[in-house]
Amino acid sequence: MMNKTPEQINQDLLLPLNSTSWRYYVAVAALGSLVIMGLCAWGYQLDNGIGVSGLDRPVFWGVYITDFVFWIGISHAGTLISAILRVSNAKWRRPVTRCAEAITVFSLLIAATFPVIHLGRPWLFFWLIPYPSERGIWPQFRSPLLWDFFAINTYLIGSFSFLLLPSFPDFALVRDRSTGWRRRIYSIVSLGWRGTPKQWHRLEMAMRIMAVAIIPVAVSVHTIVSWDFAMAPVPGWHSTIFGPYFVAGAIFSGIAALIIAMAVLRKLLHLEEYLEPIHFDHLGKLLLAMSLIWFYFVFAESLTIWYGNEPSEMTVFWVTRSGQFSWLFWTMVICNVIIPAPILSVKRLRSKIGWTVVASIPVIVGMWLERFLIVVPSLSHGRLPYAHGGYRPSWVEIAITVGSFAAMPLLYLLFIKVVPIISIWELKLGQHEKPAEAPATVPGIAESVPASGR
Amino acid sequence: MATVKEQTQKTYRLKKRRWGMVVDEDRCTGCEACVLACHAENNIAIVGEGQAVRGRAMHWIRVERYYEGKFPDVKVKYQPVFCQQCGDAPCEVVCPTYASYHNAEGLNAQVYNRCIGTRYCANACPYDDRFFNFENPSWDKPLNLQLNPDVSVRSVGIMEKCTFCIQRIKAAEMNAEAAKRQLADGEFNPACVQSCPTEALVFGDLDDPESKVSRLAGSNRGSKLLEDLGTKPSVTYLRRGTWYDEQNT
Amino acid sequence: MRAIYGLYPDPDSAQRAVEVLQDAERALGFKEKQIVVLSGEPYEDHPFGQRDKKTIMPWIAAAGGLVGGLLGFWFISFTQKAYPLITGGMQIVTKWPDGIITYELTMLGAILTTVATLLITARIPDWRRHVFDPGVGEGKILIGVVNAPESCQDEIRRRLCSAGAGDVKEFAG
Repeated sequence: MMNKTPEQINQDLLLPLNSTSWRYYVAVAALGSLVIMGLCAWGYQLDNGIGVSGLDRPVFWGVYITDFVFWIGISHAGTLISAILRVSNAKWRRPVTRCAEAITVFSLLIAATFPVIHLGRPWLFFWLIPYPSERGIWPQFRSPLLWDFFAINTYLIGSFSFLLLPSFPDFALVRDRSTGWRRRIYSIVSLGWRGTPKQWHRLEMAMRIMAVAIIPVAVSVHTIVSWDFAMAPVPGWHSTIFGPYFVAGAIFSGIAALIIAMAVLRKLLHLEEYLEPIHFDHLGKLLLAMSLIWFYFVFAESLTIWYGNEPSEMTVFWVTRSGQFSWLFWTMVICNVIIPAPILSVKRLRSKIGWTVVASIPVIVGMWLERFLIVVPSLSHGRLPYAHGGYRPSWVEIAITVGSFAAMPLLYLLFIKVVPIISIWELKLGQHEKPAEAPATVPGIAESVPASGR
Repeated sequence: MATVKEQTQKTYRLKKRRWGMVVDEDRCTGCEACVLACHAENNIAIVGEGQAVRGRAMHWIRVERYYEGKFPDVKVKYQPVFCQQCGDAPCEVVCPTYASYHNAEGLNAQVYNRCIGTRYCANACPYDDRFFNFENPSWDKPLNLQLNPDVSVRSVGIMEKCTFCIQRIKAAEMNAEAAKRQLADGEFNPACVQSCPTEALVFGDLDDPESKVSRLAGSNRGSKLLEDLGTKPSVTYLRRGTWYDEQNT
Repeated sequence: MRAIYGLYPDPDSAQRAVEVLQDAERALGFKEKQIVVLSGEPYEDHPFGQRDKKTIMPWIAAAGGLVGGLLGFWFISFTQKAYPLITGGMQIVTKWPDGIITYELTMLGAILTTVATLLITARIPDWRRHVFDPGVGEGKILIGVVNAPESCQDEIRRRLCSAGAGDVKEFAG
């Protein structure tokens, strides 16, 4: 661990808030124009109807739902990982948590737009909200989409609080070190935080409760997203494995996204001394574990379908393994296991940040493909062979997808200008915790510290 | 405080009637008169060539063709498929807005006004018998004058499907009620049944043991489409008679 | 409000300051409540950081979860009964799906109660002027006395210095 005075930490971590290079403006402009392009494509779709997408009968769900599931999956980077690390009291979590929690909030916001984009009559999306209307009718709680609505909103509220609560002390710090209108804004958002022992205790207790509460919520969110598929009697969807399979895939893609984000932030904000190779090493181990778990699920699912040999299931099975979708399927396997697993298994490679990023980027691609392969082949090859069909995304769908991929770094870039991306007070706290009290490092996730002082 | 059951009965004003259909594959010649009649009766949008190629054609009833054997010894099997009006329909439960629900006469009703276009019902339907308006429908003049005034025209973003010509059902019921008499079996028919030259389609009340449809549905030639899914379809398919098999063995 | 305080560079001297103030509180006529401690990070391994630690927040959160779940369950079964429509041959009050929503609202109840409890018990938001010094953000620990009697100001100042405060300041607001 580095040894820095509190003042040095303040200066290093508040630097991004205080100085902005021209490169930042270029990046914001570039990403912003991609986002605007996506919004324009959406506007075009609103004007002309959902017909401008490549959707057809029987592939009624396509890239939009793929994006939705993908972004919900990315959102598991954050709050879930950060909550698990908090609950297990892993000491190395301190520079990582806020970075991860921000990913969660932003990707959830992006994900939540996709079901609306996807609707045939998006201007009526609020009919999903249970409110007493003059129509006298309520939404149907038997529909998995309603479960989604509740789960995603709970998760969004939970992870937003999870991100916001430990930011108050840092807002207070920014308030004390700025002048003029900035000082006024940060005085408001820091809610008058002063740092009395009472405030610290309540904050830490609240974070502990939230960490415990958010883990089952995160698990439920992606389980329910998987149930959107598993509840329908569609070959390839109607499977009990979907809940855990989706949760594992979500954590998998989430960690990959976190590693990439951290590597970029490290370079961009000169955080070399805070985000150390050891953090990437630990996350790399998690990523390796998730890669293997993901492969286990794919194998278990494939074997069950193949051995059962049920005709309509087998149609979908072969069309993905050796038919028209096979090139996507095998690209996915290469991206999710064959590239990352060997890299992350070798300690020498895993402890190099560049290599963990090399292992993470294909995972993002592979996990997007995985969602696409869940949505499309099952729909295009339904139970009645007469109604089989195909699907090709239109430029509108591609533009909106690209826009969403640009929206994530854009939101992140805007975020690092207003909130210190590393939780400053938690980092300082980690510095003065007595290392003598810490027991030997537990291999794997957690370097535990004893309950005293926490 | 009314119990749930009473409340439900009040909402439904339950009638002792369950509409059903029988398709005799022995009689179907694949002429597709039913498809045409359905289009005319129900104001189904004609999407045009370009859209149809992309798989967006809307035919509430379609005649599926299956070929058995190798050329030149080929047998063609025609199977008209339309909404099976399932008893336990997978499409109904997944709709977040109750646009798809079970009505008092055993039909899977689709309330266009409630539909927000999640298209979940179409995915859940194992028979691929739900159709989505990807574009606003339009009819070239003078075709707009032939629209059926009893049926609403659906706009873009809405799911639609076979209703067993619910407008005809309602009209017949109202007429019978006004005349204070019972509905007679075969008094009216959906457009597809009416237009079938070989009487391959038979429509009626499955709960009336005397009706033609319930007698045919009990035939030992009868089976339901994808029956093992437990959807309890209201449509019975009569497979081709034994004389055919005997001739061909 | 008036206050007199010192800034301490490390938790050990801050602890000494708290102790010398506690020793003198009866003699000088102020109460322990009037001693103010502010720090830029929690110091739970020192006694001064242990002040006001007791809380029943987990119980409140659990109760909030219970209330959320019960309200949620009541709400969905109410809506299902209010406009009963049959779909897919399921019951009107459908237990399995209701369980899912009840679960989500239980967790939402617990989360919202936790946030509310934090805000209320930590007395935020509070934008009024209280004793504060930007030095807290630089790693210093502020120990002081709020609204001490006029007569003993000098004695408090002397004691704060003796504990190791480089500079003793006054605050008025």
